[in-house]
Amino acid sequence: MTAPDAPPHPAAPPQTPTPSPSPSPSWLGRVFSTDHKVIGKQFLFLGLAFLAVGGVMAMLIRWQLARPGQPVPLVGRLLFPGAGGVISPAAYTSLFTMHGTIMIFFAVTPILIGGFGNFCVPLLIGTRDMAFPRLNMLSFWTMAAATATLTASFFVPLGAAASGWTAYATLSTAIGAPGAGQTMWTVAIYFNGVSTVMGAINYITTVVRLRAPGMSWFRLPLTVWGFFLTSILNALFVPVIAAAMVLLFFDRIFGTQFFIAGSTIRAGGDPILYQHMFWLFGHPEVYILILPAWGIVSDLLSFFARKPAFGYRVTVWSLIGVVVLSCVVYGHHMFTTGMSPLLGESFMVLTMIISVPTSLLFLNWLGTLWRGAARMRTPMLFCVGLVFTFGIGGLTGLYLADIVADQYLHDTYFVVGHFHLIMAAALLLASFAAVYFWFPKMFGRMMSEGLGKLHFWPTFLALNVVFGGQLLIGWAGMQRRLYDPSAYEFLAHLLPWNVWISRAAYVLGAAQLVFVLNFFVSLRWGKPAPANPWEVGTLEWTLPSPPPHHNFDVIPTVVRGPHELGSPDALARGKDWLGQDEVLP
Amino acid sequence: MRLDIPRDVSLDGHVVDGVMGYLTLSTGIAFALLVLVLVVTLLFHRARRSRPHAHFTHGDGLSARLLTVAVALTLFLAIDVTLAVRATRNLRERFWNYPDGDPNALRVEVTARQWAWTFRTAGPDGRFATPDDVVTLGDLHVPVGRPVYLKLRSKDVVHSLYLPNFRTKIDAIPGSTTRLWFQAQDPGRFEIGCAQHCGVSHYKMRGWLIAAPEDAYRGWLARAETDSRLRYDPADVAAHEGWDWETGR
Repeated sequence: MTAPDAPPHPAAPPQTPTPSPSPSPSWLGRVFSTDHKVIGKQFLFLGLAFLAVGGVMAMLIRWQLARPGQPVPLVGRLLFPGAGGVISPAAYTSLFTMHGTIMIFFAVTPILIGGFGNFCVPLLIGTRDMAFPRLNMLSFWTMAAATATLTASFFVPLGAAASGWTAYATLSTAIGAPGAGQTMWTVAIYFNGVSTVMGAINYITTVVRLRAPGMSWFRLPLTVWGFFLTSILNALFVPVIAAAMVLLFFDRIFGTQFFIAGSTIRAGGDPILYQHMFWLFGHPEVYILILPAWGIVSDLLSFFARKPAFGYRVTVWSLIGVVVLSCVVYGHHMFTTGMSPLLGESFMVLTMIISVPTSLLFLNWLGTLWRGAARMRTPMLFCVGLVFTFGIGGLTGLYLADIVADQYLHDTYFVVGHFHLIMAAALLLASFAAVYFWFPKMFGRMMSEGLGKLHFWPTFLALNVVFGGQLLIGWAGMQRRLYDPSAYEFLAHLLPWNVWISRAAYVLGAAQLVFVLNFFVSLRWGKPAPANPWEVGTLEWTLPSPPPHHNFDVIPTVVRGPHELGSPDALARGKDWLGQDEVLP
Repeated sequence: MRLDIPRDVSLDGHVVDGVMGYLTLSTGIAFALLVLVLVVTLLFHRARRSRPHAHFTHGDGLSARLLTVAVALTLFLAIDVTLAVRATRNLRERFWNYPDGDPNALRVEVTARQWAWTFRTAGPDGRFATPDDVVTLGDLHVPVGRPVYLKLRSKDVVHSLYLPNFRTKIDAIPGSTTRLWFQAQDPGRFEIGCAQHCGVSHYKMRGWLIAAPEDAYRGWLARAETDSRLRYDPADVAAHEGWDWETGR
């Protein structure tokens, strides 16, 4: 990157407009589409459907924690017929295992990376499709196969996996989980990983090779930076968990002992090896999911504050810094395994260093908002909500990075609250912001602003009560994954807190019905979307809504960065934004 | 709605509480500043007729960059560096300073299994894995005012011995031996929990830590030693879970 503003291709030859080819007319061609926009929508619908499934599971978990051992109203007898509608301890362990698995691997990953990654990356960099359209299609259908495997695992004898989303050996081996459900879980995660790596290779190649003329690295929308960096982490670290799944599968099916300790100490395998492999992937995974969210929010804050993203290059280098550091901090998930003091102290210090690039990112967000002329439209509300909840989520991470405090807080609800503020609250708020923002481009219709705001406020308030409440009961010592916390005398007094957290969770769940309503009503009856409803300058908004099959009749030539909002050049023309390919006379 | 953090009855638990207190204060200030900026911008820096467009800056001038870097480094020094320095000192001087050379420390071998804790002390001969070991199921008896030094193993899956009143926990892992030390300052009965998901009855894997003054503890120990001697069954090989404290065999 010696000359960052030089165009990636020397000189673009003048083009004659190419009319868009029609998409395949057959239903087979439409289902097995290679169009990145269609594949993006397929991922989005898959992810939203599983978000609903994972959300219902969360409601059931919250019911059990608020009313331990009482029959679930309405759906109890349908879901748990053998127990008279009561969630049994075995069902409860399956519920929290599958809730985590579904939310991380089958809801947020498809929505953000598969859905918006696919839809946005080619449009935002000015190209007609991904570098490998068929690999892209294969990526979706591999994900669909993984999804089918996971869904089927609910219906096998002994039920779905129950060893937690982390599936620590030896609980996840035949010692602790004899049923087929855990094996199918292993297979599903493996194929989920195959799908993710296919996507990652595609995104990396597309961003490196297919940027429009003039779209230099430092003119990329931050959204693209987010997806690009996430894909690098995916390509590096998803193979690690895939390898762990293969070894776990071998331990379960072929009687190997990679993760099973022998009868004498240090003979045979080692369960700790699994934890290293899991978290070597698992910690980057947090950043894999949050980087696209950070990118999207960095762009949207600028778009709706009507002001350039503050400190664009510092933001980009901070994101890169986070990517590099995320590779060397995973050990903080294992502070209580008795790791050597040298390792423990190193992981603690490295973890804390991540707060430097993260603070820079935050400060730049605030810098973007400062002296802006903010339009508080629905996507903006969700972005500002993310800044708030991510603030709490990020800062509470420091408690867990500090080994002294972690001794007490490890594996308590403090951890649950902390990572839900990031993995659930921040990611959901970013996903919703992205849906409200790109829906007009995806489907050619506007979503309702009124319903959007009605969706935002209860969601935002309830999220903070639920996950803030979890931080508090974790502070009071409540462990994770307890079927009935009141089995412990020192936790019995927390029941009213759990009741209130659960009530807030039901509100959170109910608020999502507003979103579902808004989504489907707008899809059918929404106001037709103009090409550029938000009045911003990135390339996708130069196209009709929705864009034609091959996106660009003429590949645009980019002449400026993505955030030229409120510039004097624009104001002189009676508007406050400039397109990335807009040539000024 | 009470929110009681378990009463700290340990020698070093106040250090943990101190760190959490400092963190709450420092991150609280940082978060308050964040909210302040958010509120100001959202109230005053909005599009309106008197404010048709934003102040145009890319925030990439030297002064803007210096400002953000200075604030980030200030936060880093005030919170992270302070914490890391204190934590490293406390770990070396307290939590990881195991009482290996302390003849006064009570040594206990802990065996975890689905879903119970077994605690073993050495008996009058001072050696583990011998017929006079004192073994208790679920109850850990300790004297007040002496270090208690645990070594832990697991028979099946990963568990985690959790002592909320002592602000600490440590995993018990099949194939490994982990260790933990603490010291009770007050007598009483305190709950022992499992913090790592270990299967269907994880929530039932509880125990009690009974801290007694030295005299009372010795009285209990004398009775327990007699009981153990009477109950020892050389044929019950499965119950012989002890190992030599030093060599691990």
